[in-house]
Amino acid sequence: MSDLRLTNEKAVGSSVLPDEARPLLDGEGRFLNDISFAGMYHVAFLRSQHAHALLREVDVSRAKDLPGVIRVLTGADLLGKVEPFRAMPNRFSGGESTQHWLAVEKVRFVGEAICAVVAEDRATAEDAIELIEVDYDPLPVISGPREGEKDTSPLVHDTCANNNLIKRKYVRGEIDEAFATAHLVVKRDFSIARKQALCLEGRGCVAAWREGGFQLSIWMSHQLPYVVRHYIAKHLGLPETDVRVIAPQTGGGFGQKASIYPEEFVCAHLARLLRRPVKWVEDRLENMVASTHAREQEIELEAAFDEDGRILGLRSEIWVDVGAYSTYLWSAGMEPLQTGGLMPGPYRVPALQYNTRGVATNKTPTGPYRAVGRPSASASLELLLNEAARKLDLDPAEIRRRNLILQDEMPFRNANNLIHEHVGYMPCLRMAMAEAGYEDLRAGQAAASGNGKLRGIGVACFAELTGLGTTTAVGPGTLLQPGRDAVTLRLETSGVLTIAAALPSQGQRIATAMRQVAADELGIALEDISCLTSDTGMAPYGFGTFASRTAVFGSGAVIQAASELRRRMIALAAFLLEEPEKELSIINSVIKNLDGSKMLTLSDMAERSFFSAKDIPQELNQGFEVTAFYDPKHGSFAAGAHIVVVDVDTETGAIEIVRYVAAEDVGRLINPAVVEGQIIGGIAQGVGEALLEELIYDDQGQPLTVTLADYIVPSALEVPNIELHHANTPSGALGGFKGCGEGSIIGALSGIACAVSDALARRGGDIHAFPATPERVLRGLGVDLGD
Amino acid sequence: MAWEQEIELKVNGRAYAKRVSVRTSLGDFLRDQLHLTGTHLGCEHGVCGACTVSVDGKSARSCLMLAVQADGTDIVTIEGLRDEDGEWSVMQKAFFENFAVQCGFCTPGMLSSAIELLKENPDPSEDEIREHLSGNICRCSGYQAIVEAVQAAAAAQRAEVQV
Amino acid sequence: MKAPWFDYQAPRSLADALGILRDAGEEGRVLAGGQSLMPMLNMRVADPEVLVDINRLPDMDRIEEDDGTLRIGALVRHADLLNSAAVRERWPLLYEATTQVAHPAIRNRGTVCGSVSHNDPSAEHPSVLATLDGTVLIASADGQRELPAEEFSEGMLTTALEPGEMVVGLRYERPPARTGSAFVEFARRLGDFAIAGAAALLTMKDGVCERARLTIVGMGDGPVRVPEVEDLLTGKTLGNGAACDVFEEAAQIVKASVDAAEDVHVSSGYRRHLAGVMAKRALETALVRAGVAA
Repeated sequence: MSDLRLTNEKAVGSSVLPDEARPLLDGEGRFLNDISFAGMYHVAFLRSQHAHALLREVDVSRAKDLPGVIRVLTGADLLGKVEPFRAMPNRFSGGESTQHWLAVEKVRFVGEAICAVVAEDRATAEDAIELIEVDYDPLPVISGPREGEKDTSPLVHDTCANNNLIKRKYVRGEIDEAFATAHLVVKRDFSIARKQALCLEGRGCVAAWREGGFQLSIWMSHQLPYVVRHYIAKHLGLPETDVRVIAPQTGGGFGQKASIYPEEFVCAHLARLLRRPVKWVEDRLENMVASTHAREQEIELEAAFDEDGRILGLRSEIWVDVGAYSTYLWSAGMEPLQTGGLMPGPYRVPALQYNTRGVATNKTPTGPYRAVGRPSASASLELLLNEAARKLDLDPAEIRRRNLILQDEMPFRNANNLIHEHVGYMPCLRMAMAEAGYEDLRAGQAAASGNGKLRGIGVACFAELTGLGTTTAVGPGTLLQPGRDAVTLRLETSGVLTIAAALPSQGQRIATAMRQVAADELGIALEDISCLTSDTGMAPYGFGTFASRTAVFGSGAVIQAASELRRRMIALAAFLLEEPEKELSIINSVIKNLDGSKMLTLSDMAERSFFSAKDIPQELNQGFEVTAFYDPKHGSFAAGAHIVVVDVDTETGAIEIVRYVAAEDVGRLINPAVVEGQIIGGIAQGVGEALLEELIYDDQGQPLTVTLADYIVPSALEVPNIELHHANTPSGALGGFKGCGEGSIIGALSGIACAVSDALARRGGDIHAFPATPERVLRGLGVDLGD
Repeated sequence: MAWEQEIELKVNGRAYAKRVSVRTSLGDFLRDQLHLTGTHLGCEHGVCGACTVSVDGKSARSCLMLAVQADGTDIVTIEGLRDEDGEWSVMQKAFFENFAVQCGFCTPGMLSSAIELLKENPDPSEDEIREHLSGNICRCSGYQAIVEAVQAAAAAQRAEVQV
Repeated sequence: MKAPWFDYQAPRSLADALGILRDAGEEGRVLAGGQSLMPMLNMRVADPEVLVDINRLPDMDRIEEDDGTLRIGALVRHADLLNSAAVRERWPLLYEATTQVAHPAIRNRGTVCGSVSHNDPSAEHPSVLATLDGTVLIASADGQRELPAEEFSEGMLTTALEPGEMVVGLRYERPPARTGSAFVEFARRLGDFAIAGAAALLTMKDGVCERARLTIVGMGDGPVRVPEVEDLLTGKTLGNGAACDVFEEAAQIVKASVDAAEDVHVSSGYRRHLAGVMAKRALETALVRAGVAA
């Protein structure tokens, strides 16, 4: 770990303590559920108990009569009044899905909202829900992708043949020749369970309506306030200028709060209908079924190698269970297309073929979640590399060395058409191996095994495309290319600086990062800079926080805006101080000439600029407010190499992570302690993905893991101490920054998976399905469990 | 049958007399009736630990207690952690300085559990810290910074005692 | 997730509590620590008409040790056991099991009697009670009765408790001198309900087992004593490395005899296998603690 109190001469690179964490330590965070208005009503939703059924009748009469109930809304009440959701069209779409905000005629997953109840308090709303009678007529249930795409299978949506919401076949390079001429072909299957982000705070909103300007204000626990504003206006038929979206302090996002869901839109409608503020707070039971899930993939991967273990070609078949609807607005293409497209990772792959499908099933829709599609792409290939290494009698690290894209080959265009540049894959691997003492670990592996234990060592390398600019779609196959975000810098009349951007933080300390960048660019003291990040009423346009983009876009836009603001500040100071511009500098919020004989504080200058404008030539006083858009054009590859040591208990199947070493390239660091928190936090979620987390359904589409006792996430005891090292290569983006929010979860799944597989291989076993539960581990070892 | 009852209790040193619905949880009562919204409800079934507060000096899940059961108790929530001079407690300061807060939703429960640990064990090992906090889920930090913060707070508290 | 309506009663005397419970009949529910009942209320999977909060009853929080027995009242919390010098020093099985109950905040509120009354087969206390030849002390408006642990447990989440009755205490019998004990369990995370576990007591003299107790946690319909294993071990020489084969045989008996249910996370086969492993580990540890090198 770097020294947390380290202070550089520059703010960027220092672990500046984040002011925005202070209220959280006093219980003053003001999360969504902490916002209230006088006369506010509370909303609860009746949700489908059936995975697939016709709605014969919904009888709300008893609920309506319960004292304290204000209104009960059904799908029929919304028909024709609001526009239902249709996900962004996807080039690889096999058909569309229409999602009503409240189900009409049919329900397609357990948890789908059928009615909204508005009451004076939440408990009463829940009482009323128990009084609603729904007559369901059950339909056959699709509970898995392979079954779902059969010709004989019933359809989740009549508009979507074979339930293929997504279908893409991609071929590039001489793939057949690669396999025909290969020295070795290895084929492996891999599967990963359905999981979810499990933000500690669920979704929720407070919607308030008034006549006149700014008619609808909505506070929403969300990552993309401007995107929400656009779509609320569109679906409710309001001018966009009448809608204000504020993302308050948000208790985790991880992609789950980057999609658009029906409940918040119903609340916006209700606020308008009832002319009262309404609040909906998603409780945990709702969150487990009503907020997007992720993963649930089956992959058959095949790789061709030459005699030195170099990859000649990769071929995969991918099935993703995307759930009941194509997620608004990303579409169902997120996991299926990214897993296929990003399969090569950091390795040289001359020929690539993948055949991927997103199959509609009667489960909760899947959507974006930390490192969409990449963990399974990476883990399936990393496990295959291990198997190839065994067959070629190579060390697992060595086969990776032979295939990693090297810096002297860059820019390097891989078979998936992505260009690798400004990234150090090999430096990460070298550093991880050196810090872990890899040779010694291998040498000691046999001695550490025995006595009911198997020691396994996993090595995994990954690439993570961050900060995507306008040339790369963030939702593959869709038109979603959110490559431009704006920042406004405003020197206030007292000489302090406000940074405004629509880049909300769910704990990533975006505000502190942008303050650090602005401090260095402008010479303004950190304590004189504040930052607003989450209110469409105050911030310039921006897409929001997702896809490891925010630090890159925020910082880039700050740098661009600062350049113009600095020019204006220096120009005015030169006039006021009667000194040449080039001899002036700004240090610690004071403008000085070369020898320091003349000084002007920013507060003095700002006051004079604003209050004494008549004394200043107009061309020198253009106002100290600058908005700049930044577009990094391409994305920046971040990278990492993780080395994981596990001990497997051969009697119980328990896995203990004995050591965890990570070397990461996330570009130039803005705030090292914050970056380390992001990386270690990602690894912790990867520990969950590799060992614990699994959303389980039965074959009737009933979710069986709907509490936190059944959906198991890591506690402090399951996450090991992480030895984190930095092997940074600056990116090509402004400032040299890369994103760091997602990548480490890729390395964690892959590294742990490889370590477990490596341990089991000592006794001729292996593992293909994750999470690696104790039972799967024992079955992987061939232990007789009597069935 | 009484739907509501009068309760008297002390929260963060202040005395309250309130009328509460018998089915209201302590967590909802603190948040909705005392407006102490620093206590967060993360699961309402006792697993996540975010709602943990101190009841008569012992940590308790405020989602698993009824407000009526808190009649006569002395409760401390995150809003009551500052000392008499209004300064942050050792644990709050350590959490801040060690970057142990990301989204902040687990923080109130985490602080409550960590403070209880140091009361019982002023010099806990890393394993003891992890075990004591294992009923408090954090989804952001990977726990490492939190463990470091508790270690830092323990060291600071021991130093304070010596002075 | 807000609790449904109920009639809340917080009697100040046992007689009052029992009167309310009698009147409520099937619709009455005792609220003690609330760590199992409150989640069920919040999720609305429990919907009692009358909730009888016994936390205001006097003298129910006592831990009394007397001549080889331990008696604990209905309001003794898990944390109280951990803080009791008597329990820590002289009731190691009870102490060790209690350290594995959930997490600190849950242990501060949850009661031992509540855990026994709830009778989740994966919980620690029902099995400890069975292993320590324990007795459940039951009261109703009509009087008091006692039931041995085995008779009290009637299946998954069900007990011999009749409507109108409540558990007012538990009594444990201290094992003879020279007894080693062990409570082991296996869960995905520390503090979760166990997939399987085992509680063992071995009383040893000169390397020979005089008395054995083995209870399997997490199986079938409640705590499962395994008399075949207890009989197998009694009279056997376990010192000087002899234990290894015997314990392996014990594990096989456990595997063959337990009724291991599958659940959302594990198959019946895995749970059965794990029961054998837990049994062996508990016996091994108990033997070492009895002062015999395994």
